[in-house]
Amino acid sequence: MKRSPLLLLAFVIAGFGFAQTPGEKQPSVIMAPVGNVQLRAGGSTNLELDFRIGPDFHINSNKPTAEYLIPTVLKLNPSEPLMIADVKYPAGEDMSFAFSPNEKLSVYSGDFSINTVLKAPASAAAGTYPVKGELRFQACDRSACYPPRSLAVQFQVTLVKP
Amino acid sequence: MSKRNAVVFVMLVVVVIGMLAVGKYLDRTRKHGPVKLVGDVRNVPAPNFELPTLDGRRVKLSDYRGQAVLLNFWATWCQPCKIEMPWFVDLQKEYGKDGLVVLGVAMDDTESAKIAEFAHDVGVNYPVLLGTDQVSDDYGDVRSLPTTFYIDRNGTIVAKVVGLLDRKEIEDDVKKALSASRQRAATASPSPAVVATSALAKEAE
Repeated sequence: MKRSPLLLLAFVIAGFGFAQTPGEKQPSVIMAPVGNVQLRAGGSTNLELDFRIGPDFHINSNKPTAEYLIPTVLKLNPSEPLMIADVKYPAGEDMSFAFSPNEKLSVYSGDFSINTVLKAPASAAAGTYPVKGELRFQACDRSACYPPRSLAVQFQVTLVKP
Repeated sequence: MSKRNAVVFVMLVVVVIGMLAVGKYLDRTRKHGPVKLVGDVRNVPAPNFELPTLDGRRVKLSDYRGQAVLLNFWATWCQPCKIEMPWFVDLQKEYGKDGLVVLGVAMDDTESAKIAEFAHDVGVNYPVLLGTDQVSDDYGDVRSLPTTFYIDRNGTIVAKVVGLLDRKEIEDDVKKALSASRQRAATASPSPAVVATSALAKEAE
């Protein structure tokens, strides 16, 4: 336990060394940890993935109002025998911003959730299977926008026999 | 842990972090050259560049020496950029005769046809250049869009603006760029509070 203050100091020093570029705020999107997901072979289960966007930022919804805007998209690559049966995005919030007061943009801000449906064939073997993927988004604040980024998404699914 | 060991441990942590930071910097330098502009860039020579245009030409910043340049970094996915582009069109029309040149640098990671279509839809009447990581780094790692540099007739940056301003503020910066070199010649004062390494700006060719 005596080492704790030293480790804390190391993290602080590391924080100074690798902090974001001075003068440049960067948008953040994080995902809440996913608990134990259980799925019966031959069945399906709903899974809600919860995300939080950093304060002062918004990202385009899955259905932005213009073709040139980059939609938020969740891509999941489950390992066999798991399958993604459906991905349901929340509706965007129609907001106008100071930079374009007469135009509504469909965006997510604060917390939002994406609902997915996982399924597995009846013949699937019991076990724990990883699901990996990414959430691709493009964020803006009230006066500027930031290049598209991807957030890694990863969780485990425990497959059980009925 | 004894006091001496604690000091040694902290020193080791600092050394390791320092080595990592230097390694990261050298790696970046090897890929893109040194980061050119940081902090307050006013009165710093604008880094020269040569970039392709949407119509297949190649343009150097130094081609416009003697004219004031509004250098606007933008992207098709940037809604605030789309708001100010028509203002740049108007400013180009209004101040072009006084020596203003607007240059757009598209930072999209997409094919140029889409950028051209977007620029056409917005009514852009000024050259649109296809940006690169190199030019982004040269101008201080441009991440937030729009980012606009106002450069005077001598190739010196007079203002940098990140994010969207209103049209009046943009026009004020244009006027500043158009008149700055005359003022500088009159006062011949050294630049204050400049944070940039001297060998950083490329020499105008």
